[in-house]
Amino acid sequence: MKIEISHRPAYALAVVTLDADEVVVAEGGAMVSMDSHVSIETRAGKKDQGMLGGLLSGLKRVVAGESFFQNRFTANGEAGSVTFAPTHVGDVMATELDDSTVILQSSAFLFSGPDVTVSTKWGGAKTFFGGEGLIMLRASGTGPLAFNSFGGIKEIDVDGKFTVDTGHIVAFQDSLKFKVSRFGGGWKAFLFGGEGLVCSFTGTGKLWIQTRNPQEFGTTVGPLLPMRQS
Amino acid sequence: MEFSIENAPDYASLHIVLKEGEQVVTERGAMMGMSSDLKLETQLKGGIWGAAKRAMGGESLFLNTYSATADGQRLDLAPSAPGDMRHLRLDQRTVMVQSGSFCACTPEVTVDTKWGGAKTFFGGEGLFMLKCHGVGDLWISSYGAIHEVEVDGTYVVDTSHIVAFEDSLTFNVTSVGGVKSLFFSSEGLVCKFSGKGKLWFQTRSMPSLASFLHPFRRVQSNNN
Repeated sequence: MKIEISHRPAYALAVVTLDADEVVVAEGGAMVSMDSHVSIETRAGKKDQGMLGGLLSGLKRVVAGESFFQNRFTANGEAGSVTFAPTHVGDVMATELDDSTVILQSSAFLFSGPDVTVSTKWGGAKTFFGGEGLIMLRASGTGPLAFNSFGGIKEIDVDGKFTVDTGHIVAFQDSLKFKVSRFGGGWKAFLFGGEGLVCSFTGTGKLWIQTRNPQEFGTTVGPLLPMRQS
Repeated sequence: MEFSIENAPDYASLHIVLKEGEQVVTERGAMMGMSSDLKLETQLKGGIWGAAKRAMGGESLFLNTYSATADGQRLDLAPSAPGDMRHLRLDQRTVMVQSGSFCACTPEVTVDTKWGGAKTFFGGEGLFMLKCHGVGDLWISSYGAIHEVEVDGTYVVDTSHIVAFEDSLTFNVTSVGGVKSLFFSSEGLVCKFSGKGKLWFQTRSMPSLASFLHPFRRVQSNNN
């Protein structure tokens, strides 16, 4: 699998070239274009999970803010290419997992190799109160993993402690421990400071953050739109 | 006429300098700035019948014609979405342009709604294809970057990402279940192109942005 990311950083497009019969698994809705001999198989879970297990893991992904379905793209018989793009204006970054694990903010997942397992991992009950839906996906295994951001992606080598606004988290290596908490500065800062929840990381590992916060964008634009029926 | 595309690729705009008598035809909302003495007409291209046909096609885009009354008058055009622009020179070739991506052309280019395929193309997303042909200049715009593909054989593109394509390509719109969000079924359409020719697609899609923003709308209470 060859991954080329063009039009960075604002309008990134990932061009994935597959060898004959190679597979790439992508977030539902991410495909922009492809060679016509590439086939799509829509699946709610992994093959060996069976019907019920598949549905269950699919539902978990819906709760996590991902599409119910993930799509498996296969280049049948000969090499072929597929292009993927995220929803938001922003960047795409690919990393290589080598029997390792990366935790992703649910909407950051774009695509991965077939030997990478993507599952839900709760950020902890506490995070539900924040309204920012800090729900995480766990990607582990071996192979490529691509994720996307709203705005630019900033890579941070954490060694010790580092604090990030939850809405700006893209992904991090699981060598980092994290704890979600109210922003320091007491209740006044929490209620009026506009900083809500933050995530404190400790340990050594890579962390990727995005320079725009989708929730902030949504809550800025949403009230300007016509009301919807409940 | 001299032109340049500025602020590309993120916020592309088109800067044109005209000689006396030269004209530019633009999408109605595209004018950002102009020399005050440029003459503006909202032309019913193709006569009343042509305009009526456009209205029936769901087109909210009426074409404005700007004419220079002296040398050196300028016109600055800006598309609605953040993204790129591209200049296409037409020399008897015909290019199909998605209505939201049409920005401007010179008057020698005929802009027509291709009757028949046009309406069904996007399956009710309010977009349709404009058929642009003649010998002249055409400027198109995108949401996100413009990615060019030389098709030789067959190629598949999500309909909401299509910007334009040469009409040497034949196309066929089909649905691919589950590719786009289940909850917004109109996004499940792809266009299968075959033949030999260029196509341009945009790297972001408006329906995806709309789907993202939808849950952030305020909810109307039903207690009446």
